[in-house]
Amino acid sequence: MRIKIIILLSLILLSCSDKKVEQTKQTLTPNTELVSKLNNSVAGDAITISFKTNAHTENYKLQVKNAYGNVLLEPEHKDSELIGFNIPKNFTRIAGPFRWRLLLNGKTLLNGTHTIATNAPKATYVESYFGPRSVTAGYNDFSMLTIAPTDAYDNPLDNGTEVTVKYQFLENISDLKITTENFIAWYNVAATLKSGRILVTSECNGTTSKELATIVYPSNAVNFSISSESAHNYADGNQIITFTSDIIKDEFGNIVTNGTLVTFVIKNEKDAYLYTIGTTLNGIAEAKTLHPDKASNWEIQAFITGAAESNTIVFNFKSAIKDYPVHFSKGNRNIDIGPFESFMKQLIPDGLLLQLDIYDTDGKFIESKITTTKDGVCNIYLGAYFLADGDYILKIKAAGITKEFTKNIHGSTVK
Amino acid sequence: MEKKTNTLLILALIVGLAFHGSAIFFTLEYTYDALIHLFFADHYATSWFDPWEYRWYTGFTVQSYPPLVHQLIGILSYIGGLKFGMYTVALIAIVLFITGAYRYTLLMTGSRRIAGYGAVMAVFSSTFVETLHIFGQLPSISALSILLHSMTEIYLWIKTGKTRYFITSATMLAVTVTSHHVTPLFGMVFFIAPLMGMAVMDAAREKVNSYKALTFKVFWGTTLQHFWRIVKFGFTAIFLLVFCIFPYWYNSKRNPITQVAIPHGSRDNFLEITSSGLVFFIIPWGVFLFILPYFFYRYFSKRYVFFGLSFALLTILGTGGTTPIPRMMLGEMAFNILTLDRFTLWATIMALPIFAEFAYRMVEGDLKALIQQKFGGVYHRVLGGLIAGGMLFMVLFTMTLGYFRPSQPAKIKMLPIVNFLGADSHDAWRYLPLGFGDQMAWLSAQTRAMTVDGNYHSARRLPELTTRAIERIENSKFRGVEGIGSLQQFLTVPEKYNLKYIFSNDKFYDPILYYCGWQRLQQLENGIMVWEKLNVAPIPQIMPKQDVPTIMKIMWGIIPLSTVLIAIFVNIQMIWVRLLKSKKVPVHSFMKLELPYNKFPSKLLTFSHWWALLILICLGYGMYIFYVKNVTQLSPNNVVESYYDALDFKEFSRAHSYIDPNENIDIAQYMLEVSVTDGILSSYAKLDSLGIEIYDVTEKSAKAKVATRWITPLENVFNKDHHELVKRKNKWYIKSLKVDNDIPPDQLFTANSTTYYNHGRRKITTQETYHEDVLKQPVLEILSAKLVKYKGQYSIIGELQNVDNTPADIVIKATLYNDNNKELANYNAKHQIKHKLMPKETTTFKINFEGIAWSSTKDTLPPTFNPDEFTPVSFEEQPTKFNLQSAGNVANTDLYKHVALQDIDYSEQGFNGVLFNSGVQEVTIPQLIISYYDADGTLLWVDHKFVTEGVRIQRKQFFNYKPLALDSLEIITSGLENCFVNGSPNKAIADKIFPNRILKHGKQQAYPFKGKGYEYIKFEINSYIGNPK
Repeated sequence: MRIKIIILLSLILLSCSDKKVEQTKQTLTPNTELVSKLNNSVAGDAITISFKTNAHTENYKLQVKNAYGNVLLEPEHKDSELIGFNIPKNFTRIAGPFRWRLLLNGKTLLNGTHTIATNAPKATYVESYFGPRSVTAGYNDFSMLTIAPTDAYDNPLDNGTEVTVKYQFLENISDLKITTENFIAWYNVAATLKSGRILVTSECNGTTSKELATIVYPSNAVNFSISSESAHNYADGNQIITFTSDIIKDEFGNIVTNGTLVTFVIKNEKDAYLYTIGTTLNGIAEAKTLHPDKASNWEIQAFITGAAESNTIVFNFKSAIKDYPVHFSKGNRNIDIGPFESFMKQLIPDGLLLQLDIYDTDGKFIESKITTTKDGVCNIYLGAYFLADGDYILKIKAAGITKEFTKNIHGSTVK
Repeated sequence: MEKKTNTLLILALIVGLAFHGSAIFFTLEYTYDALIHLFFADHYATSWFDPWEYRWYTGFTVQSYPPLVHQLIGILSYIGGLKFGMYTVALIAIVLFITGAYRYTLLMTGSRRIAGYGAVMAVFSSTFVETLHIFGQLPSISALSILLHSMTEIYLWIKTGKTRYFITSATMLAVTVTSHHVTPLFGMVFFIAPLMGMAVMDAAREKVNSYKALTFKVFWGTTLQHFWRIVKFGFTAIFLLVFCIFPYWYNSKRNPITQVAIPHGSRDNFLEITSSGLVFFIIPWGVFLFILPYFFYRYFSKRYVFFGLSFALLTILGTGGTTPIPRMMLGEMAFNILTLDRFTLWATIMALPIFAEFAYRMVEGDLKALIQQKFGGVYHRVLGGLIAGGMLFMVLFTMTLGYFRPSQPAKIKMLPIVNFLGADSHDAWRYLPLGFGDQMAWLSAQTRAMTVDGNYHSARRLPELTTRAIERIENSKFRGVEGIGSLQQFLTVPEKYNLKYIFSNDKFYDPILYYCGWQRLQQLENGIMVWEKLNVAPIPQIMPKQDVPTIMKIMWGIIPLSTVLIAIFVNIQMIWVRLLKSKKVPVHSFMKLELPYNKFPSKLLTFSHWWALLILICLGYGMYIFYVKNVTQLSPNNVVESYYDALDFKEFSRAHSYIDPNENIDIAQYMLEVSVTDGILSSYAKLDSLGIEIYDVTEKSAKAKVATRWITPLENVFNKDHHELVKRKNKWYIKSLKVDNDIPPDQLFTANSTTYYNHGRRKITTQETYHEDVLKQPVLEILSAKLVKYKGQYSIIGELQNVDNTPADIVIKATLYNDNNKELANYNAKHQIKHKLMPKETTTFKINFEGIAWSSTKDTLPPTFNPDEFTPVSFEEQPTKFNLQSAGNVANTDLYKHVALQDIDYSEQGFNGVLFNSGVQEVTIPQLIISYYDADGTLLWVDHKFVTEGVRIQRKQFFNYKPLALDSLEIITSGLENCFVNGSPNKAIADKIFPNRILKHGKQQAYPFKGKGYEYIKFEINSYIGNPK
């Protein structure tokens, strides 16, 4: 049994072995000569390289090599003495030289070079780029237009091909001729002094490119002036004051871009710096803030940081409230403040801020309470949970008027 | 003996399928785990053999979980989709579980009648209901059910030594192994070991005449006789466990779990955290709790003694952190990795046969007789009714738990999100869902897009995740400091993981998204808000992958389903015979061990009554505590707590009901007053802790000092409030607080502003965006930059301006180097910067270098939640140089600049300022960015403050800011040499765009204020608008 298996196995193994018998080497080199004498053509044209040979063999191969790669071709018609190779399309369409070698059994019999020229007459395509998409008005910014004209097979046209560049700004349309160098033509379109939109296009061999554009944005702003406006100049804490700039322009007279941020810095009588912000719309920035609730002198200056500033204007707020009464009750725990009367003896609008600071008799700060007026008055109740019985200094601040009381607080009535 | 079909089993199967089978359609998708398994199934459905899954955690291997159930769902999904597969597998699991319980009970008791009871009890066991309908642990249920089926076979093998039983038991065990790894591993210890003991015990019993005569000597002798069968089976089991899921073990070895343990409720002290006690103890045990003495009595009889030990062990381990015993037994490491609820699950499953036996004796056995004789027939009926009612109640309670206390957000329609990800190459970036719950797995299953998150925490790979005890970033708000901290790292440096889109289903996260520089893109039709981040590169084409040998892939792909096929093939004849009773099968030996059940011990009955009374007292006390704590107006403390609870959950009409009725504030007025307050506290905060101090209590009044801590996505907010409380008609009420009376100056007013719109790519094409459709990046200029050290922490501060003519979105990244140009750390600006700038606007910025928090797992985690907790990078070397890379992208949203600083005044309490909103959008959260300058007007330090209340239109908002002392500030280096804008050097830009910059403007706009270590201070405002109109 075992022997049978061994025999079987060895038979199987034997049958797998290579049975190919080596052929005798062909030492004879046949006479071969090039028939097609043409060694240049235009991209896209069919190319056939043919040879005349005295040997009837099928083993001829043509190796074709260009910048993109290699290919090994079989002869087209083998039965006759004339053998021809058709160069495939992806070789005939690419401009530039390609080299060929005729091979027989790995031996080079003949070689040569064929040059393909660009095929501009068939069709020209224009590929163009333009950037950056926006520039700043003035003397030193520009966008670059880059044009790469190609033939129908995407071969860049020869150096020196003429390209017409056209660009439009407002009423002016300019055109000029440039030539390609190293496959591309380029032109720097300088920014204009006026803001706007520059459209460019290009043309080559009658083919035009698409429209491309760059926006000329205004340059940095120059100094401007501001003004203020309000319904009255009383410090009632309930009126809007509006600051407006004149039309802000750059050094070339262009109105600055919409949305440019303008900071209106307000310095008050205590040298504190407040601010409000406006963004420009057609060059005008408008910013609003609220009247103070006490007499103040405001100095306002606007900035476009780093670029421009405005004149300084002054706005004086007269005090709207001259005085207010304070009434203590319920063991001095209940404090009624008001009525607050405004500049025409009218009750002030709701929401005037009132702050009560509580100190102990040694002047040590304990806590502050903040409330707002309603119907001209406000009320603070100092619950016993909040403040134990004892003597306290109470400072009430409202509408810029501070009143100080020393009171004995006692009792703990639940309100 | 003619074998009859067991009617109780048939009944159990019909009821079980009808009840569970229909209920799963309403519960399974809301469970914790089911959708995760669905995602895994989707993986197998799309790439069966390749274990690498790119969609979660930047890639992980599915060989980290046994594949059988996933592969089954995957195969079935070809018939009717993934969900069809999942429900089919669930139905199979239900049938397997009921029949498994039947066979297990039959084995244990030897009575077909009791086994029938066992099947019925299995249908209504609350532990099964919970595992299936609340946890959705399909693999665990399937594995356990097969294990129950295999027990009879294992018993018979040990007992008889017939090879066919060896084969059947081995094939079934293989199926168990491939469905779930932990079940067979612990099942060996807790189920199979005692089972072998019982088999030997039974064999020993056959040698003697009574259990009394069964001495240890006899037992030992029998054990030696069966020794080789036990060894053979033991080794086979170990071999199967290793071989069938070998790639799993290989992967565990290669990627050991080195992450920080995630807190799990089953490790809590159930007495302290009653919600965990309910879910992990009360629900699984259910009515079993009352019958515990009987379980122990029966399991510690001679035949079951090994089960008794196992059962006692499981019961104790299942108590989690309530007693220190489980921690001592398992050791610190295992205690923190295992979820202990599975021990309770096994204990309750193990108790099933004994419970069935109890039920049998109660319904028709000796217990019935004993009770009737002792207490009368009525009592027996009432008691039976109570037990049955209790069981039914537990089932209904468990079933509806998810309905009344949803553990998941409402079901999200995924299609709009899937479409969004599919459109316009959005899936070329990673996305992150927020507030999706476990539904994120379902979203992942439906799209090819990838997320940085994931829902299988053992496979977490990113250090930001593994170093923290969080399962998902998606629900990070529930994970305290680690959660929000982790999320903030992903949001601040999203380009690290190519994270561009966020789907937010929870408004809570909106402020942090805004302040980290994200912008709203659109709201999808399902209400999900899409946020995007600019300047993030798409995912590279070639992604890292951890490959495994081909043999592993083949094993993983082929073995699991083969085990099922082999098991069916081997057992088919048996199933056929058993099902159709076509052939008489010999009665198994264990059937002879049926007990006569003729004398229920009277003492046990008495003891059980006392035990039940004890349990009832405990329950009653628990419910009483619950009542006292939750009756809203019973005490001053309760009313304050309830009031804040109502405010926290935005239940304003409930909050209003706690307001003193004598104040006559009607509900409409109250709602109006509440609705006009906006801000981080009222819109984005979660009440974290509430400290109530009640004092000055009288009969009718009291006062409360309330200290609250609110968690917001940005930082912690501490508030102190005082309330007065009154008692009217036996109910406590709270007195209302004052409201701001401020009225705006104008009723109707106009505002003009520049708005922007970006078309994106203008051509409808699937090709890359055309050159002419790419917007130019706005040009920025860095005005100053410094590396400073303040309070031991390195920061880069600086100033930056948008010098272009379009609004810009700012991303700025800083890298630190030492003297040898070795990179030490890099990070992006988080929220101390205005991310959106109008043309010519400036912003100050500060970049802190945040390390991956607690990257060394040995560090103790802070016990409380603190979202602004910050982990500075620990530098081994001194940073001396820095590099700044900033990039601008055209922004067209979040450009609201109309908040003015209306007043500011310094007093000993710091700066008291007033913000005024002069525009037409309501500012939800105003942020102040405060910069400090020296006498020359050069920047020293940047600080920030979030104002907790919003600024309404044309209204004021007050703030208080305490300036810092900067005398300890150390400037290490400053300069603009290594600063780049959109890749170009900053200097070139400055020279070209701003050659004549007026440098004194910075100083002119700052507030001259002499403080400690600085001369000027400036307040900038960055406003977050919650609902842009």
